Amino acid sequence: MREFEPKILAFCCNWCSYAGADLAGVSRFQYPPNIRIIRVMCSGRVEPEFLVKALSLGVDGVLVCGCHIGDCHYIYGNHRTAKRMAILKRILGYLGIDPSRMKLEWVSASEGARFAEVVTKFTEEMRKLGPNPLKEVKA
Amino acid sequence: MIKKARDLTKKWLEGKEVDAIFGLKQEDGYIAPHLFIDASELDNLMLSTQHRLCYTCRPSRENILSLMQRREPNMKIGVVVRGCDERALIELAKRGQVDLGKIKIMGIACNQEEAKECRCEKPYPSNLVLGERVEGVSEDENVDALLDKSLPERLAFWRHELSKCIKCYGCRNVCPMCFCKDCKMEQEVFTEKGWLPPEIPMFHFIRFYHISESCIGCGECEKACPVDIPLLTIFKLLRRDVKALFDYEAGLDVEQKSPLLTTLDEMPMREDVTSGV
Repeated sequence: MREFEPKILAFCCNWCSYAGADLAGVSRFQYPPNIRIIRVMCSGRVEPEFLVKALSLGVDGVLVCGCHIGDCHYIYGNHRTAKRMAILKRILGYLGIDPSRMKLEWVSASEGARFAEVVTKFTEEMRKLGPNPLKEVKA
Repeated sequence: MIKKARDLTKKWLEGKEVDAIFGLKQEDGYIAPHLFIDASELDNLMLSTQHRLCYTCRPSRENILSLMQRREPNMKIGVVVRGCDERALIELAKRGQVDLGKIKIMGIACNQEEAKECRCEKPYPSNLVLGERVEGVSEDENVDALLDKSLPERLAFWRHELSKCIKCYGCRNVCPMCFCKDCKMEQEVFTEKGWLPPEIPMFHFIRFYHISESCIGCGECEKACPVDIPLLTIFKLLRRDVKALFDYEAGLDVEQKSPLLTTLDEMPMREDVTSGV
């Protein structure tokens, strides 16, 4: 049997984290190929419903990346993301889904190395956690 | 209690303190919200924990009180409320649905039995006019039972409970805080139409998340549910979490903006709070 490889979805904001991911690419930093990136204009655009939908469609972990607090190009977009994620994680916990399947990270445009590091660490965590139990719930 | 409430509302109406009274009316054995304009009608005023006062009308999706206020913008309305109704009014006012300046609140306390029946944490309004204040029910066996379970057990539990859902939208329709004209629970992006049970846990998650910070803990969703899904369990836990994270409680203060609509500078979030998982 093949070793379990997690599927990971990342939402990256256009201004910081996507540029950070780009920098990781052009700097040739290695990170696992388990990740699929969706570019959004702001991490504040990411609705918690997106993340739950991703889980129920069979993704094993979701990463949300935005600008550091204070650096948001829409001033307060990431403040809202931070608050939403806190609530979302709690709801998931009560529903019986491990809240660590969701992760919020701040990655700036200059932090290419950090982006690679975040993705590597998260992929490793998801590999340990095993397949997302919601996959089988959806018949 | 009901006699006192009738007398006092009559006094308010006859003394021209208010132009109308909004409360529950009993007629032919049925109870429904009613706008009392004539004092003689007030003999039919009723109090009931089983009937919602501030509900959202469907399909126009507008709160019954905001509809009335729009139609009669200058009318001063006296509203006969319980603790939960008052909290609903405050949350609705925060979101621009009702104008509290044109409302005079007659708060009525629930008695011990009523509080127990609703598993209500705060069975009295802040503008208490009639009745004795009793302490709320702080312990909830459903909540404790859920917290005792491990993550896989919780998932199995909700899988069972949520698979009973017949997608009647009763929980949403009865909720005083669910007044959005476009409801995400009806959007095909999130939950496919024509399938039963709805996607687990997506369909119910939408409400859990949207109401998390505005839930007033009235438990109407759970009472309305025809298949007895213990929805209040999650909302009670979320009310605790919102209190711990933001030191905020829905329905207390109309001036206090809700946490998810404010920045971290306006309403900071405590990072060190454990998630209870």
